[in-house]
Amino acid sequence: MPTDTRRIQGPETSNSPYDFCPTATSDPALLEKQRLDGRDSAQMRPLFLRAGVISQARGSAYIEMNQTKAICAVYGPREVQRREDFSLKGQLTCQFRFATFASQHRRQHQQGNQEKDLSVQMLEALEPAVCLHKYPKSQINVYVTVLQHDGSVLSAGILCASLALASAGVEMYDLVIASSAAMYNDLTISDPTVQEEQAVLSRVGKGSSGMLTVAFMPSINQVSAITSDGGIQFDTLNKTVRTVIDNCQKLYPVLQQTLVKHIEEKKKGISSK
Amino acid sequence: MADVNLSEAEKTFILHSVQDNFRDDGRSCEDFRHMEIETGLISNTNGSARVRLASTDVLVGVKVQLSPVDPENPEVGRMEFFLDCSANATPEFEGRGGEELASEITALLTRAYGCPSTMDYPSLCVLPGQQCWLLYVDILLLECGGNLFDAMSLAVKAALFNTKVPNVTMTKDEGGIELDVSDDPYDFKRLDVTGAPLVVTVNKIGHFHVVDASEKEEACSLARIMLGVTQTGTITAMKKEGSGSLDADSISDMMESAKKVGVLLNKSLLKALGEEEEQGTEAVGFLR
Amino acid sequence: MVLCVRTKGSSAGDFTHAQHKSAARRGQRLSRADDTHVAGEGTYVRGGFIYSSLVGWLNELKTEEQKVTLTVQTEDSCTVIPTIDAVVTARVTNVNPRFCKCAILSVGTSPLRDVFRGMIRKEDVRATEKDRVEMHKCYRPGDIITARVLSLGDAQSYLLTTAENELGVAMATSEAGVNMVPVSWCKMQCPKTLNEEFRKVAKVQPEYIEYVRS
Repeated sequence: MPTDTRRIQGPETSNSPYDFCPTATSDPALLEKQRLDGRDSAQMRPLFLRAGVISQARGSAYIEMNQTKAICAVYGPREVQRREDFSLKGQLTCQFRFATFASQHRRQHQQGNQEKDLSVQMLEALEPAVCLHKYPKSQINVYVTVLQHDGSVLSAGILCASLALASAGVEMYDLVIASSAAMYNDLTISDPTVQEEQAVLSRVGKGSSGMLTVAFMPSINQVSAITSDGGIQFDTLNKTVRTVIDNCQKLYPVLQQTLVKHIEEKKKGISSK
Repeated sequence: MADVNLSEAEKTFILHSVQDNFRDDGRSCEDFRHMEIETGLISNTNGSARVRLASTDVLVGVKVQLSPVDPENPEVGRMEFFLDCSANATPEFEGRGGEELASEITALLTRAYGCPSTMDYPSLCVLPGQQCWLLYVDILLLECGGNLFDAMSLAVKAALFNTKVPNVTMTKDEGGIELDVSDDPYDFKRLDVTGAPLVVTVNKIGHFHVVDASEKEEACSLARIMLGVTQTGTITAMKKEGSGSLDADSISDMMESAKKVGVLLNKSLLKALGEEEEQGTEAVGFLR
Repeated sequence: MVLCVRTKGSSAGDFTHAQHKSAARRGQRLSRADDTHVAGEGTYVRGGFIYSSLVGWLNELKTEEQKVTLTVQTEDSCTVIPTIDAVVTARVTNVNPRFCKCAILSVGTSPLRDVFRGMIRKEDVRATEKDRVEMHKCYRPGDIITARVLSLGDAQSYLLTTAENELGVAMATSEAGVNMVPVSWCKMQCPKTLNEEFRKVAKVQPEYIEYVRS
């Protein structure tokens, strides 16, 4: 793993103290009994959203799903700087980052493989929704930073980016709504926390268990991204896709309300000037 | 990927052919193209395979190496995927041109093989908590003819089937354990690949979907989903790719096709590999 | 600021009044796309319906042929980019005998947050005597010009033209550092030194001044 020599690094090899303590995820009962935060398996976490949190950006948004917190900024449409990246069609770029302190283990400043993978998945989810043909020769940059990671980060990132793109006034076919679920045998857990994610992923291989995230555009009934992890029985997966799409439908009005509130505030702000 | 320029008429032709379940090369929507698989053709590797799927050509070499265990999973072996998009395939891959595609494919393979039931990872651990085998799976893309993901997963599985991991003997010394890797070329163990997944890509063309799309068909498709399917029909990875979106109802049809094709493909691959091994046919290599 | 109801597709004469405004959400189905409803800016048509593609205010503009144009507008039209035939305001950054380069500062009435690069070729400077154009007698670095977008150009820049009376230098400073006053279509004079300098002067239109001020 290459390191950035300009930063002060810790010792070359070090272990987090958490490696040595038994984690809740190894508790075999975790998935059988009630969820740690008292939700039932189909219940999602409450969603807090706000648009327009970064004044310099064209559009921005903040999302909180209990302990999962992310912020997103959208810049552009602006000129493509590097000549080799040029294309006559509009471009969308996505960068998904974790703050170094976002998870239990400290992360490196450099973008890791997981972050790159999540960036690509976010791009896949947003690209079908943006009317890129309206922005020839220019690019729109989306930057998502996860401030605190407590599960379902990809869906939080997509929701936040979708809201930020909307507040930036970028033309889109529809809002992209994303939702996640964890599966363990017959049990489907909507909107899992990081402990539940780890519990499910540590049981992968024993029976059917895994994670699923779907990005959905409700008013045109199109799925823009779908991604799964772990080893899942086909029928379970098929059923869970439906459940997650239903969950997305439930989130749609929340995002719309946030946006209407945002433009009303913006209007007031302008007229009071 | 190499650019294919299709006129509107050609696109319509392909669209209609998919609609009629009779594609331009005579296949139906759930048929694969003819493929050739050969294993063990590179002597410097522990296992190798070459897959030629119509004009897609992929070469995979597996090298094993002893390495410290991953502190988060100290009792299992490790596997890493690398993909080199050779500029031989298309000049666009020159320099860093193929990197994006490479990271996309390796990410999916890593995810598909990440499920512990796909391989016998504990058997790759030499000394729990200390040393394990690290499998370097190096993929070389020699020619692009569509459906790269599927061809690569086939080649990876064939190469893993062919991989010979040397046996290790442990002797207890004062102060530590000494590992001795056998240098006898016939003293090895094989990997169990019956649980290994294959990637099946389902391309959406018009209102219908096809598996194993040719380059031309890929140019007509705006969205595709990829599934890692094992022989038992378990899905170990799924992702959607492409700039288009998919109708919520068609996704389950596409998944159904992928699963059906994936299970069959796994079975016929293992059968073919078993036959090759039994017959011990002479290596054909690159001279066909 | 009053909400602007004038859109590109309909000049002031085309509509009688803006009927009502309500908040339109992205992806919201606004109406059927039939003979009487036309999709305007900020909307798109899919499967026989008009949907909103922006979050903003819905306008229904009645045109004379009993048609209603639906448009959705945001408070600040901030996502504009130069389009073909748009009039842009730009600052000249570089002049050489064959072309001059400029930074596009605003498109129509909306200022851009990031500048876009533009280029005016020698043959696009004016409509007459194209072959006798001398670039340094038309533009100098620092001039503020109005120009029309000719094409999207190449990877480097948009292609602009000033081959109209209304287009060309709108503001320029003399060597003495004072804003100059146009004295003819090809000359400007410094009010301090009374020195005359050559420029391709724009006959600036009143509407343009109005929207620069607003």
